[in-house]
Amino acid sequence: MATTVGGRTPSQETSRGRGPVRRVPAWRRGLRPYLLSVPAVLLIIGILYAFFYGVYYTVLNYAATNPAPTFVGLDNYRSVLGDPLFWRSAGTTLLYAVAATGLETVLGVAIALLLNRSTLIGKTFERLLILPLMIAPVIAGVIWKLMFNPQFGVLNHVLGLGSTFDWLSKDRALASTILVDVWIYTPFVAILVLAGIRSLPKEPFEASDVDGANWFYMFRRLMLPMMWPYILVAVIFRFMDCLKVFDAVYVLTAGGPGVATTTLQIGAFEDSITNLNYSRGSTYMFLLWIIVFITARYLVSVLGKAQRRAAGAGA
Amino acid sequence: MNEFTRSESGLHVPKKKVTRRSMLAAMGGAATVPMLYGCGVGTGGGGNDAGSANGAGEVTGSFDWKALKGQSIKILQTPHPYQQAFQPLLKEFTELTGIEVQADLVAEADYFTKLNTELAGKTGAHDVFMTGAYFIWQYGPPGWMEDLKPWIENSAATSDEYDFEDIYEGLRTSTRWDFEKGSELGTGGQWAIPWGFETNVVAYNKKEFDARGIALPDTFDDFIQLANDLTDRSQNRYGVAFRGSKSWATIHPGFMTQFTREGAKDYTADGKTYTAAMNSDKAVDFTKKWVDLAKSAGPTSWTTYDYPQCTGDLGNGNAMMVYDADSATYPKQKAGASAQAGNLAWYPGPAGPDGSYATNLWTWSLAMNAASKKKQAAWLFIQWATGKEAMNKATASTFADPVRASVFDGSFKQTLGDFPGYLETFEKVIDSTKIQFTPQTKFFETTEDWAVALQDIYSGADAKSRLDELAKANTTKINA
Repeated sequence: MATTVGGRTPSQETSRGRGPVRRVPAWRRGLRPYLLSVPAVLLIIGILYAFFYGVYYTVLNYAATNPAPTFVGLDNYRSVLGDPLFWRSAGTTLLYAVAATGLETVLGVAIALLLNRSTLIGKTFERLLILPLMIAPVIAGVIWKLMFNPQFGVLNHVLGLGSTFDWLSKDRALASTILVDVWIYTPFVAILVLAGIRSLPKEPFEASDVDGANWFYMFRRLMLPMMWPYILVAVIFRFMDCLKVFDAVYVLTAGGPGVATTTLQIGAFEDSITNLNYSRGSTYMFLLWIIVFITARYLVSVLGKAQRRAAGAGA
Repeated sequence: MNEFTRSESGLHVPKKKVTRRSMLAAMGGAATVPMLYGCGVGTGGGGNDAGSANGAGEVTGSFDWKALKGQSIKILQTPHPYQQAFQPLLKEFTELTGIEVQADLVAEADYFTKLNTELAGKTGAHDVFMTGAYFIWQYGPPGWMEDLKPWIENSAATSDEYDFEDIYEGLRTSTRWDFEKGSELGTGGQWAIPWGFETNVVAYNKKEFDARGIALPDTFDDFIQLANDLTDRSQNRYGVAFRGSKSWATIHPGFMTQFTREGAKDYTADGKTYTAAMNSDKAVDFTKKWVDLAKSAGPTSWTTYDYPQCTGDLGNGNAMMVYDADSATYPKQKAGASAQAGNLAWYPGPAGPDGSYATNLWTWSLAMNAASKKKQAAWLFIQWATGKEAMNKATASTFADPVRASVFDGSFKQTLGDFPGYLETFEKVIDSTKIQFTPQTKFFETTEDWAVALQDIYSGADAKSRLDELAKANTTKINA
């Protein structure tokens, strides 16, 4: 009986009709799947190594001023969770994530619907739309900080606000940072949703058209349910990113004025890098990871349901 | 999973079943080794262990600039006028010593983040780095910096011509500390060599002042009045720029200088116990005035202002005065450097009620990484860069202020003809210029919290209660 490998005979495996058949030793064929998975395994090990190292720090009192740390159990968790600034930062982060993701989703879907029409303007804007995504958030932060400057910034000049309107005052700073996030990432949502719209089957729309359905009806009852999974994918990406927001906000306000825009990441940065209190900073980060993990699990389950529902709608 | 025995075709067949899961488990087990190793190295190995044995004792014989010909060192710098003034001179160091220098630059906004991370990692990737005096208080205790005192005192390592005493005394003491609570600066090791320094004074638009016949104010109240009078928001012009961002750097220039002149202190010490005093009556009174000044006659977006924005507004003609480092405003007077180049001048700023011109200083210094593998070459570089010859050459460019009295009185003075009041201001404040902060290892955390409190007061919080809250928190932190 011939032994088969992956459904092929050894001769099929080694011969392409050129010369005599070369047999590959079975141990090499057996090893192949493991070798193919080595890069992924190494990557996972690299990620897990850093992750668990960080978690290990959370039970120590490691800081620059205490370079020979000792085990302190859950003291760091008690310290961070008992700090009003942590809860304030968590609230700010959540508000930022909900507002930025919400605005980006609404605007992104609207832009995608507009660009779906194959006009010259639509095609041109489709290409221009990607430009903000090509700018690093740090650079975007610097650009917007210059534009926000009341003394020489372009925004106050163009909008006729004079030199006394402060975009980054305590009352407006969070909204301004969200505005910058919306500017950078709305194109991401729009492009993702646009790709989704273009992949939708045409038949249900043609049938509805024949039946005399109007545009709004088709949008609400056909297009929206079918593109909902794409919208949710965009929401998941953006919401996760917003929970981890750091770069543009730090450049714009460094978390100020006061603590008005201090997010969890900025709090962790201040503890770890500014104050060189590595254990406390790691605790901040681990708690943030728990929040992101739970949120991601929930959103992915919602996505699964939406996909099943959309499959039904499209059938 | 393919599961073979020796077949008719003669294929080699593994006798023991190896599953993907068992392979993964094995690799995971292997990964545990570096993980455990990493845990030991990363934390338990702290303290003064990482290359921290002082290297000066190993250098014997007679001093020779060429002793390490053929070596190369790496230095970490930020693109600062000091660095820019020295960059063209690096080849002269290579000619003198035969040592190649690779200078890596990191923008100032990210510089200390990079430096913190690198020093904490104890890789010794850079042998020499630029640092400020306050950072010694944080980098010194974990053993990240080499004590340079043994190097200075070793005649085999240091040229007879070096003349360390030529560096202003206030600067030499500002870079020495024994890291003990309650100790003054000037005790303990020499953790860095001052390179360039800044006094915090007022730069103003002399052209405007002369046109309006404005006299320079001597008291803080008069200064406030003048700044308000100069402010005309409809013309996009305001009285005075000073820093207001959420950073420790907001406190140390103009704020700490005038805070001290008004008779306030940051902490009081009783033996090894500190009590925060930024909520004393004098401190609260001054802080209120300072924040009100920022509102009425400062930049509109004060809470985002660092020195580049302040000096930029002075150079553009938006700000009539800047209360910040003299060396930060100095480049704006250079021909072509700003719209107001040639129109600027300097004065010490308002005196305190008792006539005090106490001034806080910042000194960019050169320090040696304790984890460096090339300490002697690193010291030769530091010695050369802070020596008389190279510093004299650098003053021809954007190097202000030199830390050596001989250089200041010699070549630097000759460059100041187009800088009205600069020299007079320097001479007025230099004797009372020193670090006005209490040295302490939680400096950055507690001082950034101080800046946050200023921003809160600026945003409407009551000054007295906010400063009480700050003082209570800082007293706890600093004594922990």
